[in-house]
Amino acid sequence: MWWRSPSFILDKQQHLQHPDDNGDEDSSYSTLTMTGAAQNPNPNSNISAYYQTRAAHHGVVTSDWLAQAQAAVGAREEGSDDGGEVEVGQKKKKVFDVIDEFNNWRKQPDLAEAVAAIRALASVIRSIEASTMMELEVELKKASDCLKSWDRTSISLTAGCDLFMRYVTRTSALEYENFSSAKARLIERAEKFGEISHKARKIIAMLSQDFIFDGCTILVHGFSRVVLEVLKLAAANKKLFRVFCTEGRPDRTGLRVSNEMAKLDVPVRLILDSAVAYTMDEVDMVLVGADGVVESGGIINVIGTYQIALVAHSMNKPVYVAAESYKFARLYPLDQKDMVPALRPIDFGVPIPSKVEVETSARDYTPPQYLSLLFTDLGVLTPSVVSDELIQLYL
Amino acid sequence: MPDITATVNEFVNELKKRKIEGSQTTSRLAAELLRSVISQQRLPYTNQAAALIDAVKAVGEKLIAANPVELAVGNIVRRVLHIIREEDLSLTTAAIGGLNVAGTSDDDVDDDTDDHPVLSAAAVAAASRSTLRPPSLQTLLEDIPVTTSVPPPSSSGGESEGKSKSADKSVRSRKLKHDVIEAVNELIQDIATCHEQIAEQAVEHIHHNEVILTLGSSKTVLKFLCAAKEKKRSFRVFVAEGAPRYRGHTLAKELVARGLQTTVITDSAVFALISRVNMVIVGAHAVMANGGIIAPIGLNMVALAAQRHAVPFVVLAGSHKLCPLYPHNPEILLNELRSPSELLDFGEFSDCMDFGTGPGSPLLHVVNPAFDYVPPKLVSLFITDTGGHNPSYMYRLIADYYSPDDFAVQPKPGS
Repeated sequence: MWWRSPSFILDKQQHLQHPDDNGDEDSSYSTLTMTGAAQNPNPNSNISAYYQTRAAHHGVVTSDWLAQAQAAVGAREEGSDDGGEVEVGQKKKKVFDVIDEFNNWRKQPDLAEAVAAIRALASVIRSIEASTMMELEVELKKASDCLKSWDRTSISLTAGCDLFMRYVTRTSALEYENFSSAKARLIERAEKFGEISHKARKIIAMLSQDFIFDGCTILVHGFSRVVLEVLKLAAANKKLFRVFCTEGRPDRTGLRVSNEMAKLDVPVRLILDSAVAYTMDEVDMVLVGADGVVESGGIINVIGTYQIALVAHSMNKPVYVAAESYKFARLYPLDQKDMVPALRPIDFGVPIPSKVEVETSARDYTPPQYLSLLFTDLGVLTPSVVSDELIQLYL
Repeated sequence: MPDITATVNEFVNELKKRKIEGSQTTSRLAAELLRSVISQQRLPYTNQAAALIDAVKAVGEKLIAANPVELAVGNIVRRVLHIIREEDLSLTTAAIGGLNVAGTSDDDVDDDTDDHPVLSAAAVAAASRSTLRPPSLQTLLEDIPVTTSVPPPSSSGGESEGKSKSADKSVRSRKLKHDVIEAVNELIQDIATCHEQIAEQAVEHIHHNEVILTLGSSKTVLKFLCAAKEKKRSFRVFVAEGAPRYRGHTLAKELVARGLQTTVITDSAVFALISRVNMVIVGAHAVMANGGIIAPIGLNMVALAAQRHAVPFVVLAGSHKLCPLYPHNPEILLNELRSPSELLDFGEFSDCMDFGTGPGSPLLHVVNPAFDYVPPKLVSLFITDTGGHNPSYMYRLIADYYSPDDFAVQPKPGS
């Protein structure tokens, strides 16, 4: 593993050390939280829950895959039940509450991951019997840590939790209020967050209209709600454009996007993932969403984005990213392997001999030099703005 | 106010006929015009800032439409709008601060349609954050509840702070106008002195025995080079003549008059000579939000040559050239096609260009675009009156100078 960056090794070590750390602390609550986290309810801990949900929401799934997913879900529930039997105590209930709550929210296809996370945290605030702000903060921090460690592969989950925690600790308005009204305010903000996310998409769609000119060809990769919103608004504005969709193996997100485009009467062409370079000379711009925008200004997105950006860069085509600002995450991946691996099963249609290794990563990292502009609800940004925003918020 | 409309129309006409040239002159004139618009504008009792903004916007739209390619006009309009917003805000914050201390109560509640005084100081602070700063992650969660942020009764300081005297208000209205005009004067001053401020930094960038290349003529570049010369730097300048207007010739003449060793080259010789050059210094027509520049024709070629030989490509631009727009389609939308007479002599070419004699369309076309777009990755450094900046830093300067509400002054940009 000598080629990995040091930060990765550190992360790994931290992860391994977690149980030891807990042993030293005498707070029973913290031990329970951590064990709840360490005992990942996902039995195949190398399968990313985030990308599973995504696929379920946005992909056109085969029956075979569905069966597989069903099996995985069943196993997961079993796993969490096991955990439930091992852990006893009243507080453990709450810990599991967060995750269950979060899972309930995330099941809704229209809800962004960060929104689900913040809603789940709001429900924590509601159920908490703390009587001071400090206590509330501590409990909330534990809940958010637990939530974050439950699915390390979901960047917007982490970013959403961090954003909300930052709001709780930083908002000066909260300091002057009595506890119950502060609590009510927090809950209200959290509930409103769904609205913000919705509004953000609208803003992004409006901002990006200037960039879609008549007669242009847009290459779209992956299924992104924001990108869809952008294209919908462009179609509603009577812009003449056509869309190329990549197939998006293994979720086949391209089929879903091309269906949506056909519904809008936008000329659409479905291309193989491997046909990107072949079609790039006809393309005027690449438009992708993002699972997370990292501090360097690069993005983390479904697998294949990196190579599309490379092809586009070498042919001098602009690569635009549409992403809500709450997806900005405090990560600085140095290379592709520098993140927690997010794996997901791939259905090849034929049995694969066990000796054959299959690359199952669900996402890749696109460095900022291959991106032209980011369309966010904070405005149209160059990649270097992202770190500025994050530093302003977290330092 | 008949005379102000006349002045506006006159200025619009001159812009349309392209009689005013150079972004510095244009922006100075535009700022002066807007100043007189503001000083002549009658203000209602309530919401003076909105009235001022509307007036400036109305004039601004006309000016921008008159010459959409001269982006400096739009920049100045946006700057003035930003100034009004800023002054209004600082006044209301000050007023509320004063009211909180005084704790006066008065009975005329009716003119509370003006929305500022009812808000608590915290709310005003929040408002200032949202109006003056561009939206940021920090305010993401705080921002939405503009409507719901009416603080719960327990937290507000007391009902007495809500009222303001009308006398106090009229003082405030006069004060607003006065402050805005003061700030616009400062802006005009800044525009006038931006050359000197840029030139001050010359010695940091030009070193002994260096060879500097420039193309065409720019007042900023001239002052920059002269400032370095005055500080006893000895260096040589290559001047590409800048076809088809050959303004490089006049620049060369002025440089020689100030005792600089100058060499005039043709535009096509730039690549041949770039390997001997230490630094390319040019002026820009406008700087876009992504750090790209709209520059006199031929500069893209120079920038590519400079990149090929890793020669720093330095752009000098006053802050009035900073434009908050992104170049969506710069080659088409932000260019101007000038008269073919600059290229060809009508006398010699009249037979092949004549529409009357030949069958159908003429065989000879002349295209004479005025501007090039140089993408940000080809620019090494911007030197503005506030210092040297990276192309990727331009957005930050823009956030300082403009408020996001004003980015689209025109109803339909680019049409």
